[in-house]
Amino acid sequence: MAKLKRSRAVSAPSRAQVLVERFPLRKVVQWSLFVLIALGVGLGSWKTFTLPAAERYTAAQWRDFVVLGIAQGAVYALIALGYSLVYGILRMINFAHGEVFMAGAYTSFFFADAMHRDGFLNREPAVALSVILLTAMTGSTLVAVLLERVAYRPLRNAPRLVPLITAIGASFFLQYTFRGLFGQQLRGYPRFDFLRGKWHPFGIPILRTQVVVLFVVALSLGFLSWFVAHTKTGKSMRAVAEDKEIASLMGIDVDRVIVTTFALGGAFAGIAGVLFALVFEYVHWFMGFFPGIKAFTAAVLGGIGSIGGAALGGILIGVAEAVGPPLLLAGAHVPSPFQLKDVVAFMVLILVLIFRPGGILGTGEREKV
Amino acid sequence: MPASFLLRRALRSGGVGGAVLIYLAMVGMLEKFAPLDLVGTALPLSRLLVLSAPAVAGYVAVRPRIHAGEVQRPTAGPAMAAGAAAGAAAGAVAVAWMVLVRTIGVDALRGIFVSVTEGALGVLAFGLGPAAGAAVLVPAAAAAGAVGAAVRHVPGPVARALGLALASTLLFALLQRIVPTVLFELGLDPYWMYDRVHGGLTYLGALVVLGVSGVGSWQTAARRARVERRIREVPPEARRAVRLVGVAVLLLVLWVTPQLIGSVLSEIMGTVGVFLLMALGLNIVVGYAGLLDLGYVAFFAAGAYTLGLLTGANLVTAFGLVPPAIVAHLDFWAAVPLVMLVAAVVGLLIGAPVLRLRGDYLAIVTLGFGEIVRILVTSNWLKPLVGGAQGLRDVTDAAIFGIGFRDPQRFFYLVTGFCLLAIFVSRRLANSRVGRAWNAMREDEQVAEAMGISTTNYKLLAFATGGALGCLSGALFAVKLGTIQPGSFEIPVSITALAIVILGGMGSIPGVVVGALILMGLPGLLAEFEEFRFLMYGAVLIAIMILRPQGLVPNVRRMRELQEEERLQDAWLRAQEARGEALTGAGEEGS
Repeated sequence: MAKLKRSRAVSAPSRAQVLVERFPLRKVVQWSLFVLIALGVGLGSWKTFTLPAAERYTAAQWRDFVVLGIAQGAVYALIALGYSLVYGILRMINFAHGEVFMAGAYTSFFFADAMHRDGFLNREPAVALSVILLTAMTGSTLVAVLLERVAYRPLRNAPRLVPLITAIGASFFLQYTFRGLFGQQLRGYPRFDFLRGKWHPFGIPILRTQVVVLFVVALSLGFLSWFVAHTKTGKSMRAVAEDKEIASLMGIDVDRVIVTTFALGGAFAGIAGVLFALVFEYVHWFMGFFPGIKAFTAAVLGGIGSIGGAALGGILIGVAEAVGPPLLLAGAHVPSPFQLKDVVAFMVLILVLIFRPGGILGTGEREKV
Repeated sequence: MPASFLLRRALRSGGVGGAVLIYLAMVGMLEKFAPLDLVGTALPLSRLLVLSAPAVAGYVAVRPRIHAGEVQRPTAGPAMAAGAAAGAAAGAVAVAWMVLVRTIGVDALRGIFVSVTEGALGVLAFGLGPAAGAAVLVPAAAAAGAVGAAVRHVPGPVARALGLALASTLLFALLQRIVPTVLFELGLDPYWMYDRVHGGLTYLGALVVLGVSGVGSWQTAARRARVERRIREVPPEARRAVRLVGVAVLLLVLWVTPQLIGSVLSEIMGTVGVFLLMALGLNIVVGYAGLLDLGYVAFFAAGAYTLGLLTGANLVTAFGLVPPAIVAHLDFWAAVPLVMLVAAVVGLLIGAPVLRLRGDYLAIVTLGFGEIVRILVTSNWLKPLVGGAQGLRDVTDAAIFGIGFRDPQRFFYLVTGFCLLAIFVSRRLANSRVGRAWNAMREDEQVAEAMGISTTNYKLLAFATGGALGCLSGALFAVKLGTIQPGSFEIPVSITALAIVILGGMGSIPGVVVGALILMGLPGLLAEFEEFRFLMYGAVLIAIMILRPQGLVPNVRRMRELQEEERLQDAWLRAQEARGEALTGAGEEGS
C-alpha cells in the first residue's frame, strides 16, 4: 500500500492532467458564459446609447422604464415574501405560491365587480379598496393554509424533491380548479376612477396606480418586518426557522407556526394579487404562474429567507425586466424587444443561481450533509 | 375503539367526502362526465364519482388507529355503521349545498361559478327532482360508505380478486371506443358486450367481464405460489428462450395493432408513443439520476425545430410560404443522429453551469431554460429562422424507400420502433456501471462523491442521454404533425412527462409505459377527460407523492430507497409485537 502511494507520488501528472484539473469543464463553461453575457450586455447597451438620435430613447423614457420596473418589482417583492417566509421555515420551495396570488386576485374580483356595477366602487373608493384587499387576503390565506394542510404537511419529513413535486402538482391543480370554477376567459378588473392619470411627486410624473402600489408595498413590508422582529408569533417563527426540533422543545407549536407562516405569506400574496389586478386590469386562471416564478427569482436574488432581500430582489428583477430589453436589444435592432422581457428575468435567475446562489443579502448557506 | 371516537371520525371524513362532492360538481366534472355511460345507462362515470366519494369517506373513516402504543381496529359491525354514517354525512353535506344553491338561484350563481348548472345538480340528485334526489342521495351515499368500510373486513384474497375484477370492468368500460373496434376487426360481434347506442358495457357484458376476471384472478392467486416455484425451477437457458418467445409475441402484437385499431386510434397511439418516448428520456434524468428537470420541453422543442430545419420546412410569411433563413434538405434518417447530437450539446450547455445546484434550485433553473426556449421560438427576433408564432409548415416526412410515415398507422410503427430502442437503451444503461453510478448519486450525492464517482460528469451524462431521447420525441412529433407550432412547447408538456414518470414510478420502465398509456391514452380516447387533463395530472402528482411515492409499477430498488424508513419502523414494530407480552409485563423497563 505504502509502496503504491509512493510510486503515485513519483510519477508527475502530465500537463494535460494538470490543466484539466485546474480548469474543469463546469468552470470553463461557467466563465465563458459569464464573459459572453458581460460582452453582450456591454455591447448591447453601447449600441443602444449610440443609436442615431431619432431612434434613441429619451431620458424621460428611461425614467419611465425605471419607474415601471420599480412598481412592477414591488408586486414581485410582495409575492417573494411568501416564498421567503416558507423557505426560511421549511427549506422548501412553495411552487404553488403563484397560484395563491392568483386566488387572491380572483376572489377579490367578484367583490370588486359587484361593487363596480353597484357604483359603490367609485362612490366610496377607500372603503371599496379595503373590502377588496380584505377579500383577496382571505381568499389567498385560505388557499395557502389548505395547500399546506393537504399537500405539504403529510410530506414534512420526505426527501427534498418530494414536496417540490407535490407543489408543482398543486400549482397545476389550483390553476385548473380555478379554470373549472370560474371559467377560462380573461375577466376585466374594474377600474377606480381616482386611479386614472398621473401624480407628480418630486416632479416626476408617475401613474397613480403605481404610486398606490408602491405605497401599499412599502406599508406591507414595514408591517412584516415589525411583525417578525417584535411580536411573539414572529419570534417563534424565527425560532422554528432556526431549528424545528429545539423550537418544539421550547414549547413552540411548530405546526401552528408553519400554518401561520403560510397564512402570512398568503395574505401578502393576496395584497399583491389586488395590486397586480389594479395595474393590469384583468384576472385569469394562469395569471399567477409567471409572476410566481419571477417572484421566486426575486427571493433568490435578494437572498431567500430574508425580508429585505425579497424587497431588494423584487425591485431589481422588476427593473431588469423593464430596462433590460430596450437597453440590451434595441441597439442590436432586435424586433419587438419587449417580447423577450421574460428571457431577461429568467437569465437573471439562472445567473444568480450559478454565480451567487446565496443571493445578494444571503449568507451563502451550504447544503447540510 | 370507542363509539364516540368512531362517530366523530366518521363525521369528519364524511364532511371531507361531501366537500369533494361539491368540488366535483362546482368544477364541472360531474356534468361533463354524465354522458359517458360505463355500464348500460345505470352507471355513467359521473354517478360512479358521486358514489365513490362517500365510499372512500367510509373506507377512510374506519382506518385503524394507533392508540396507547397499540393498533386498534373497529370490528365489522361498528365499522359498517361508521362507514354508513360517513357516507350519509357526505351525502348530507352535498344535499345542504344543493339546498343552498337552490335558495340563491342557479342562474345567479352562474355569474360567478360557471359550472354550477342544472346538469350538475341533476347528477347529484340522480336525475330526480330536488326533494326526491335528496331522498335518494343520502341513503345511496350511506350505502356506498358502508361498502367502503366493509372493504377493510373482506379477507385479503377475496378483496384482491374482487378489486381486480372491478378494476378490469372499469378498464373495459373506459376502453369502450377501442375494444369494440378490435373485436369487430377480429370478426367477432362486439354488441352483446358493448351497448351500441350508449357506448358503455351492456349489463351482460359487465357481468361477464366481472365474472371472468374475478374467477381468473382468484384462480391465479390460488396457484400463485406453485406457479412462482415452477418459474424459479426453469433453467436459465430455457428462461432466455421463453423471454425471446415473449419478445417475439410482443412484436407480433405490436405489428398487428394498427390494423386492428384503425386509423383514428392509431393516431392517438402515435401521440401516446411520442410522449412515452419523451417520458422515457425524462425517466433517465429524474428516475435514474434523480435530477428534477422541469424544462424538459426545451429538448422537445429543440428536437422538433432542429428536425424541421434539417430536413426542410417552410415559413408562413406575407409573401406566402418561404424556406427559413437556414435550412438543409437531409433525409430523416441522416437528420436523426444530428438531432440527437444537438440534443446532447443542448443538454451539456444547460447542464454544465447548473449541475452543482441543489435539487430544488436545479428544478427551477431548468424551468427557466424551458421558458427561455419557448419565448425565443415564439419571438419575432428568430422569426426568419423558426417562424415565430406561426411556426414551421411542411416539415418533410420521414420515409423508407419512398414510403412515408405520416399516415397514422405507419407512424405507429416508427414511434414504436424508437420507443423499443429507447427501452432497450434505458434497460442496458440502468444495469450498467453508469446506471449504478446514477443510483448511488441519487441515493446520496455526498457519499457517491466520496466513493469516487464524479457526480458532475454523471449528471451531465444523464442530461445528455435524457435530452437526446427528448429531442428524438420532438423530432417524431414534428414528423407526425408535419407542422411545428410554438404553442405545442409550453410548460404543460414538461408537466405531462413528469406526471407520466411519477405515476408509473420513477426509474421503472414498465411504469413509464403504464403511465403514458393512462395519462395520454385516456384523454385521447375519451374526449370527456380532455378538459380536466391537467387538473388530473396535478392531482396525480400530489396523490402519488403522498400515498404511493414509488408509483404504480415501482422499480424495486427505488422502492427500497423510499421506504427504507418505513421498513425500519415496521421491523421495529414487529420486534415490539414479538416482545409484546414481556413489554406490557414490565413497561418501565422497556422504555
